[in-house]
Amino acid sequence: MFIDIDCSQIKKYGQNAFGDYFVSKRSDNQERLIAVLSDGLGSGVKANILSCMTSTMMMRFIEEDVPIQKAAQTIMDSLPICQIRKISYATFSAIDCRNDGSVWVVEEGNPSFLLMRKGVEVPLEAEDYTSPKFPDRHLKIYQFKAEVGDRIIFCSDGVTQAGIGTKEYPLGLKREGFLQYVKECLAKKSDISSTELSSLVIQKALSVEPMEHAGDDISCAALYFRNPRKALVFTGPPYNKMKDREYCLSFECFAGKKAICGGTTANMVSRELRREIVNIPQIESGDLPPAAAMEGVDLVTEGILTLTRATEYLEKEELFHQDAAGQLVNFLLSSDIIEFMVGAMLNQAHYDPSLPIEIEVRRTIIKKMKALLEEKYFKQAVIHYM
Amino acid sequence: MEKIKVKICQGTTCFVMGGDTIKAMADALAEKYGDKIEIVPVRCLETCHESDSFSKAPYVFVDEEVVSAADLEKVINVIESKLK
Repeated sequence: MFIDIDCSQIKKYGQNAFGDYFVSKRSDNQERLIAVLSDGLGSGVKANILSCMTSTMMMRFIEEDVPIQKAAQTIMDSLPICQIRKISYATFSAIDCRNDGSVWVVEEGNPSFLLMRKGVEVPLEAEDYTSPKFPDRHLKIYQFKAEVGDRIIFCSDGVTQAGIGTKEYPLGLKREGFLQYVKECLAKKSDISSTELSSLVIQKALSVEPMEHAGDDISCAALYFRNPRKALVFTGPPYNKMKDREYCLSFECFAGKKAICGGTTANMVSRELRREIVNIPQIESGDLPPAAAMEGVDLVTEGILTLTRATEYLEKEELFHQDAAGQLVNFLLSSDIIEFMVGAMLNQAHYDPSLPIEIEVRRTIIKKMKALLEEKYFKQAVIHYM
Repeated sequence: MEKIKVKICQGTTCFVMGGDTIKAMADALAEKYGDKIEIVPVRCLETCHESDSFSKAPYVFVDEEVVSAADLEKVINVIESKLK
């Protein structure tokens, strides 16, 4: 299973820093995902520091294989209490899950998360733990097995308390309102992405606030366990020309979406698989060579310039461009697991000093793109050199 | 009379060396020659791989004739010679 995760947040109205903090990390072997959402006491910079500290500590503990319960207990017992309000400095929810569906969740003070299966909530039994040092601090621990299609949705109290004091929601949206809205979203679009779902939830919370001014920091983190959508990007001819056919056949056999980035690579695939490259002149190309089409291939573009530009778009989060690089970005972001087949053959002409721009080495660009996809867009990416 | 095929390379080197003039060239040729020629933008023609002097991009093929360091004037000259 692949776990699609994202978090959306809105700052408390008038503040310049988020008081909620979200971190997530996949293990190097991509089999494990850890995420923590923490809500710092108060708002603004102080809350940001408290929640950042709490979530980062929690993440480090879990990463180091300290059992999640033990990590949460240690943090809960060591977090200070606000001298004025006499309550904890920061609340948190942490999740540690594996690709096989094993899930551990601990919560301290945050609204209880939702486990949605086939559009309805699955009730879960929690194991309670009370801090011996601070009797008002309660930890809830859950352990269960997620199935394909399941969703886990966390929120900060900015969601459940949204609209509090208004005629329509005198006690706020509450957990019932949060659940009801998630159900509506899933009924409308059962395969909605975590990005879209979390964004819809926070927008809903904001919409019920008086004047649409967030009365607290609003956060929603969503996880979606699904079969991974695979994609393959073939760029650059193999170092050994004798292997052209072999690599073209493995490209042909790949089960998933396919893109070719590179004129010479496209020519090679066209030659080996006997498929024509068809120009699509009507699509806007901006100042990049336009994309083309080939039977059985979802996208064909020029190589280095397009890859370089697409990497820039990913870096700057410019996800709306229509040119060939924008199309490549869409191709990548609509997949979960992305494989790159990178040929080591260099085109000497690209390194001619008289070229008006400096062209980067293919490997460097692909490595940068892989890091961005993993760190910024939570994708799994792997590079095979040929 | 068979149309003259003008292949304009859209490969990386040609694109960088010719840049946006390639599109302007295609538009100007289409306007001047109408249906006497057929303009075909193509993926890398791989001419740059074989060239000893890399600075000859951008490349345009007029039928089978290679025009290196192509600009509008050079391509027009080759087309004119073929039309005679």
